[in-house]
Amino acid sequence: MDLASHITASALLQQTLVGLSKTTILFIVASGLSLVLGVLRIPNVFHGSLYMIGAFLTYSVAAMLGGGSVGFWLALICAPLGVALISLMIERGLFCRLYEREHLMLLLFTFAFTLVFDDLVKLVWGSDYRSLSPPIIFQGSFSVFGLPFPRYNLFLLFLGPIVAFGLWYLTNKTKIGKISRAAAVDREMVGAVGINVSWVFAAVFIIGCLLGGLGGALVAPTQNITQGMGHAIIIEAFLIVIIGGLGNIWGALLGALIFGLTDAIGILLWPQFAIVFPYVAVVGVLIFRPKGLLKSTW
Amino acid sequence: MLRVESVLKTFDGFVAVNRASLGVGKGEIVAVIGPNGAGKTTLFKLITGHLKPETGRIVFEDEDIAGLPPYRICKKGVSLSYQVVNIFNRLSVFENVQVSVLSHQNKTYKLFSPARKLAIEDTKEILDNVGLAGKADRVSGSLSHGDQKILEIAIALGNSPDLLILDEPTAGMSPEETSVTIDLIKRLNAELGLTILFCEHDMELVFSVAQRIMVMHQGRSIIEAEPDAVKNNERVQEAYLGGPE
Amino acid sequence: MFESPVISRKSLGVVIIVLAILFILPSFLSRFYIYLLALIFVTGLLATSLNMVLGYGGMYQFHHAVFYGVGAYGFALMLTKTGLSPLLAFIVGPIVAGLVGLVMGIICVRLSKLYFGMLQIALGSLVWAIVFRWYSFTGGDDGIHGIPMPSLISSTSGSYYFTLIVTAVCLVAMYLIVNSPFGRVFQAIRDNPERSEGIGVNVKRHQLIGLTIAGFFGGVAGLLFVTVEGSVFPDLMFWTLSLEILIMCLLGGWFTFLGPMLGAAIILSLRTFIGIYTEYWTIILGIILMVLIFFLPEGVLGYFLEKAKARGKSAAAEE
Repeated sequence: MDLASHITASALLQQTLVGLSKTTILFIVASGLSLVLGVLRIPNVFHGSLYMIGAFLTYSVAAMLGGGSVGFWLALICAPLGVALISLMIERGLFCRLYEREHLMLLLFTFAFTLVFDDLVKLVWGSDYRSLSPPIIFQGSFSVFGLPFPRYNLFLLFLGPIVAFGLWYLTNKTKIGKISRAAAVDREMVGAVGINVSWVFAAVFIIGCLLGGLGGALVAPTQNITQGMGHAIIIEAFLIVIIGGLGNIWGALLGALIFGLTDAIGILLWPQFAIVFPYVAVVGVLIFRPKGLLKSTW
Repeated sequence: MLRVESVLKTFDGFVAVNRASLGVGKGEIVAVIGPNGAGKTTLFKLITGHLKPETGRIVFEDEDIAGLPPYRICKKGVSLSYQVVNIFNRLSVFENVQVSVLSHQNKTYKLFSPARKLAIEDTKEILDNVGLAGKADRVSGSLSHGDQKILEIAIALGNSPDLLILDEPTAGMSPEETSVTIDLIKRLNAELGLTILFCEHDMELVFSVAQRIMVMHQGRSIIEAEPDAVKNNERVQEAYLGGPE
Repeated sequence: MFESPVISRKSLGVVIIVLAILFILPSFLSRFYIYLLALIFVTGLLATSLNMVLGYGGMYQFHHAVFYGVGAYGFALMLTKTGLSPLLAFIVGPIVAGLVGLVMGIICVRLSKLYFGMLQIALGSLVWAIVFRWYSFTGGDDGIHGIPMPSLISSTSGSYYFTLIVTAVCLVAMYLIVNSPFGRVFQAIRDNPERSEGIGVNVKRHQLIGLTIAGFFGGVAGLLFVTVEGSVFPDLMFWTLSLEILIMCLLGGWFTFLGPMLGAAIILSLRTFIGIYTEYWTIILGIILMVLIFFLPEGVLGYFLEKAKARGKSAAAEE
C-alpha cells in the first residue's frame, strides 16, 4: 500500500476543489438520468452514450468554427441541442409506445440504443481519441494554497450550483415542472385532469437527455474524448441517482458530492485504487439506506 | 384457539384497525362483517403476519404470534385465502396447490428429486375436495374468476391448516358458484374439523353459515355474538344494516 | 393424468441424438468452428445459469457477469499464481463464484426489483474496479494470457470435449433443480412472493439459495471460458457483458429451459458471420434487440412454444 505520506493541508484542499469540480459534471449527468428515471421510470442506459455524443459534438462544432473560444461557446450550446434533437426523434418514434412495459424491458431497450449509437459514433468519428482545449480565458491555472488549480475547473465549480438552482426552479416553480412531478407519482390522474401526459413525458425525456449531452460537452476540454467514456459514466450516474433517491435533484447533487469527494480522497490516499473509493462509499450507503438518502419519487 | 386483543394498526396517521378484538374457538365458523373500509382485510392481514400491529396481542393456540413473519405463522397452522385473487398464474392448477403442500411437508429445499413425484396424493385430494380436479393441468392464469377464487381456497388448504381464514371467498361469484362455495365451507368444517374465520358482504351467506359473528365499523369491533343477537342489535342496524326494521 | 413426465421418451431420444452428433462433429469441422462451438457451450451455460434466477426466479439479476469473471479469474489465478494442483483450481473457481453469489445475495436480497439490480451493479462494479486496477495480481487492464492447461484439454478438440461434457452435466443438474420441489417453489416465488410467504415459504432463504446456485454455475462457465480461450481479462465482468447475457436469455425465451442456450447460439453465430462482412456488428445486435422487445417478448423459443400450445388447444377443441 502506497500511502501518500506527503498529504498536506493544502494538498487536501486543492484535491477537494478538484473533486468538487468533477462533482459538477457528475451532478449534471446524474440529474438528467434522475429526471428520466424518476418521472418516466425508464432506466436509461443510453444516457451514457448521449454524454459521449455531447462530447464528440462539442469537439466537432468547435473544430468546425476554428477551434477558438467562440467555437467552444457555440459548441457548448449546439452539442446539447443536437443531443436533445436525437432524443426527441427517439422518444416520439419509439419510446412513447413502451411506457407501460416493465423496467427490465425498458432498460434493455435503452441498451439497444447504446449498442447502435456506439457503432454510429465509430462510423462518424472513427476509433481514435479526440481532445479539445478549453477556451483561452480558461486556460492555465490559478494558484490555490500553493498548488495549481485549472481555471476551467473553477468555471465548473461555479457552474454547478447555477445548474442546480436552475433545475430546482424548473421542477418546483414552473408549471411544467410541477406537472411532471405529479405525473411521476400518478400519471393516470394527471391524464384524467386533461393534461397531455404524452407531451409532458416527451419534454422531461428531452430535458433529461439534454443534461446528459451538456455534461459531455462540459467535460470535453478536461479529458480525452473516447469511444468508451459513455460506458464508464453511466454506471457512476446510476449509482449516484440511486444513493441520492430516484427522481430527486438534490439527491443527485448529494450523490455527486459523495462520489466526487470520495474519488478525490482516493486519489490522495491510494492513487492506484482511487476509483474503488466511490464504489465502496456507494455500497456503504446502499446497505444502510437502500432506497437512497433523500426521498425518491417511486 | 385464536384470540385477538385490542390490536391497533395505523397507516400514516389513518387508523385502520382501532383496538379491535376477536375470539375464535376450535371447530367454530366465525364471520366478521362490516361496511367497506371497516378494517376487515387489515385485521386478517394482522393475524396472518402480513402486517404488524402497533399495540395489542394476537394469541394462537396459547402462543403470541403478533409480529411474526407470515411464513412462520403459516407453519403454526394459520392459512389465509386472499380477497383479491393471489395465485401463481404461470403455474398449473395442480402445481399451485402442490407448492402449498410441499411447503407444509417441509420439502421445499429438495434440489434433486423430481417434483412431479411428490405430494401427489395430498394435492389430488384437495383438488377433488374443492372440485377442481378436472382442470388440474390448466394454467391457473387462464381460469375463470370463480374458479380462481376456489383455487385460492385450495392453495390455503394445501398447508393443512388448523385455522382457515377466508377473505371474501365469494366476491364476484355467480349464485351457483356461491352456493357451491357455501357447501364447501360447511363440509370443510363438518368433515375435516377446520376452524373457519371469514368475512363477507353477502348477508344471506353469513347468516346461514356462521355460528358467531363479529361486527366491525371504522376499525372497531362493535359486537361479537350469535347471529340472532347481532341481527337485533341496534348499533349494528344503525351502522350497517341501515336503520331499525 | 395429473403429472406430465419431466422428459418424455421422445425428448430423451432427441437429446441423445444431439449429444451424439456434437461428439462426432469435431472430426468434420475446422479448428475455428470447433472453437466457436465450444464458446457457444460456455456462453450458453452462462446464460442458462442467469436464467435460473431471472426466468425461473423473477429476480432482476443485472450483473451476472461478475460470477463469470470471478470463476474465470479464480481459476486462472490458482493456475498461474499458486503451485497447487490444477485439479484444485477446477474446484475452487466455481466455489468462490458461488460464495460471491451468496455474499452478494445476502446483501442484495433484502431489496426487490430495480433496487436489487442496482445494488448488484454497485457491488459488481466494485469487484471489477479492484480487478481492473490490481495490475500486479490480476494483470489489470491486460488480464492474464497464455494460461497453462493440463495437456488433456489444452488442444482445441480437447477443450471442446471438456466443455461439452461439463456443460452437459451442468445443464442436467440445473434441469433437475428446476423440476425439483425447490424449483417449483422458486417459480411460485417468482409469480407471487407475497402468497409464497403466506403458504409458509421462507422467501428470502430460498432466493439466497437460488442466487448461490446461479453464481456457482456462472463460475463454472467462467472456468470453461479459460480452458477454451486460455486467458482472462476484466471485460469478463463488465456490465455490458451482463446485459448481453440478458439479451441472450430474452432472445431465446426466458421462460423456457433451453431458450438461453439457443439465444447464446444465435448471437454468437450471428456475431461471427456478420463480423466477416462488417465491423459494425453492435448496430445489428441493437436492432435485433429492439425488434425483439417490440414483437417477440417471449423470445424465439417461447414464441414457437406458444404457437404449438395454441395449435394443440384448437386441435383438442375440435375433438
